[in-house]
Amino acid sequence: MEAVRTYFRDIWKALSSIAVGLNVTIRHLVRPAVTIQYPDVKLKMPERARNRLYVNIDDCIGCDQCALACPVDCITIETIKATPDQDLGVTSTGHKKRLHVPRFDIDIAKCCYCGLCVYPCPTECIVMTDVYEFSEFDRHNLIYQFSAMKPDQIDDAKAKLKKAEEEAAAKKAAAAAAAEEKKKSEQSKQG
Amino acid sequence: MELTTIVFYVFAAITLIAGAIVVFSRSIVYSAFALLFAFFGVAGLYVLLMADFLAVTQLMIYVGAILVLLIFGVMLTTRVIDVQMRTGTIHVLPALLIVAALAGVLVHVLVSTDWKVLPELFTPEETAPQIGTALLTTYVLPFEVASVILLVALIGAAMIARRERKV
Amino acid sequence: MEELLQSIIGESWILYVLLAAPPLVFILVYALVTVWTEMKVSAHMQDRLAYMYTGPHGILQPVADILKLLQKEDTVPAAADKPLFIMAPYLVFIGTYAGFAALPFSSAYIGSDINLGAFYIIAVSSIVVVGLLMAGWASNNKWSIFGAMRSAAQIVSYEIPTALALLVAVMITGSLNLQDVIRFQEGGILNWVVFGGPLPVVQKLLLLPFTVTAFLIMFIAGVAEVNRTPFDLPEAESELVQGYNTEYSGMKFAIFYLAEYANMYLVSGVAACLFLGGWSSPFGDFMSGPLWGVFWIVAKGYFFVFLQIWIRWTLPRLRVDQLMYTSWKVLIPFLFVCLFGVGLILVL
Repeated sequence: MEAVRTYFRDIWKALSSIAVGLNVTIRHLVRPAVTIQYPDVKLKMPERARNRLYVNIDDCIGCDQCALACPVDCITIETIKATPDQDLGVTSTGHKKRLHVPRFDIDIAKCCYCGLCVYPCPTECIVMTDVYEFSEFDRHNLIYQFSAMKPDQIDDAKAKLKKAEEEAAAKKAAAAAAAEEKKKSEQSKQG
Repeated sequence: MELTTIVFYVFAAITLIAGAIVVFSRSIVYSAFALLFAFFGVAGLYVLLMADFLAVTQLMIYVGAILVLLIFGVMLTTRVIDVQMRTGTIHVLPALLIVAALAGVLVHVLVSTDWKVLPELFTPEETAPQIGTALLTTYVLPFEVASVILLVALIGAAMIARRERKV
Repeated sequence: MEELLQSIIGESWILYVLLAAPPLVFILVYALVTVWTEMKVSAHMQDRLAYMYTGPHGILQPVADILKLLQKEDTVPAAADKPLFIMAPYLVFIGTYAGFAALPFSSAYIGSDINLGAFYIIAVSSIVVVGLLMAGWASNNKWSIFGAMRSAAQIVSYEIPTALALLVAVMITGSLNLQDVIRFQEGGILNWVVFGGPLPVVQKLLLLPFTVTAFLIMFIAGVAEVNRTPFDLPEAESELVQGYNTEYSGMKFAIFYLAEYANMYLVSGVAACLFLGGWSSPFGDFMSGPLWGVFWIVAKGYFFVFLQIWIRWTLPRLRVDQLMYTSWKVLIPFLFVCLFGVGLILVL
């Protein structure tokens, strides 16, 4: 008797659960879709979305702190010291710029969007934007170069620095030679 | 040539060619599948003979049940698929004698029968009600006995299969 | 329609080709529409949109799909049994298409107005089983053969409930000819067999539980016969890749697909003819006639096609033992009760 009861109960359960399922799907059928037609319609990114990095090179003082903070080493910075006669100006935050930045490369393919580079920047020149569509056919195109310096400018700055360094070295050598001379003469006086 | 005649020859050709494949094919699977066409051709011939019920039953039982069972059997016994079947010829003389005798009888029937031409045979009545009535009145006993025998066979087969599994 | 064409062309083979062509045209158009419907319904049931770019709401996508399938390389696996592999999809489609011969499309058009229509459709669809087995075996692939085996076992098991449910309707209408079955039900929605047919009210009310049960079972068995979810074990993607058509590509695959969709309409059409009055209008004489008949039967058939799609995107797949349990221990006993009950009521 029990078996007969289970038999009918199972059939009833099957039919009623099918009805429940069908009810759910038909209600979803008439409900508007939750998806959007992506390339045509885009979701608005939240205010603090972390996507593509952007560097405002005018504000960069070449301090290298972002490169040090990066856990995946995707930022490469090279700097050239400015000679005293060059005035590179000040950043928008009021810091004095003392270094040329001939190279500021971000390999965005490596970037893990952690945002750790953003916080140490003293001039707030490296920021995360809401741009998220930047696929490329060649992965080398994903290395973004932010430096504004042209090759001749770089050469120029290098040459100037070298000259300045040489001059400084010469001065130093001259000073050292003078000091030596002085010492010698003092020694000879004593002697 | 009349359309019906062409259709007849098409069905006859299907039946004969498929039958030849069944007999001569070395692969037992080919034989099994060729049976489909043989049965189908025979069903077509039945239709041309105005035996519509018989034709549909032929399809239902031979194609739908027996043939599927046969193919299942062939497929499930894996070793048969790999083995290239070849029926050897033994007892040539007795076989020849029997075949000759059978052929003689068939040819005799063919020649001696008074073949009716289509318009004479043509009866546009339904065959299904007549067969149904006959099965449930005149031939009710054989019909029921056959069904009981089939049921017994079914239960027996189930019993044997079950017992084997328990041991 | 046959007489009309005969008077124009006369008795020639062209006449028969023309008579046989409409279902094929119908299947092709219907398959395109159904591919689209299936994708759209499934997407919206999952709160998605599906195709949106090829034409408004992607209505040209099925055409694009067909063009893609036509261009694809038609591969035959090296280890496959070539003749059988090539023959199988056509055999499956022939089995399905042969069924359409006895399916009425209107009071004026039926491929072949034979007396055994319903019985013939059940019988001829067994060719599909052989085709599937052939595809599975010829592919020489374990997934294919498992799929084919399951498919055959399933179709053979579910042919019995289909035939029995068909018998229930046939007992009431007293004919196996689908045109006669429909003519019997003419005269409005209450004359449909699912509501007891055009019989005296007392008899109708007594018949009602049996006919509704038989109708439901006919539908369930139909879904199982066309191997669709929840009965899609033969092509269970998670276990069998794609079942019997795993190795097929290009047009051969397309033909399998076409046959599946055609089969969906076939079982739906038979159920609509037997239980829902086929081409007869649900409003009696209003909106009836040969052309309205086409509309009604396609609408009824398509309703079931939609129902099959709906069920497919609702229910998970059954296990093999559950499948067999459903057929042998639930559907068939219930149908025997129905047969007995209907017989008793009709005799009394």
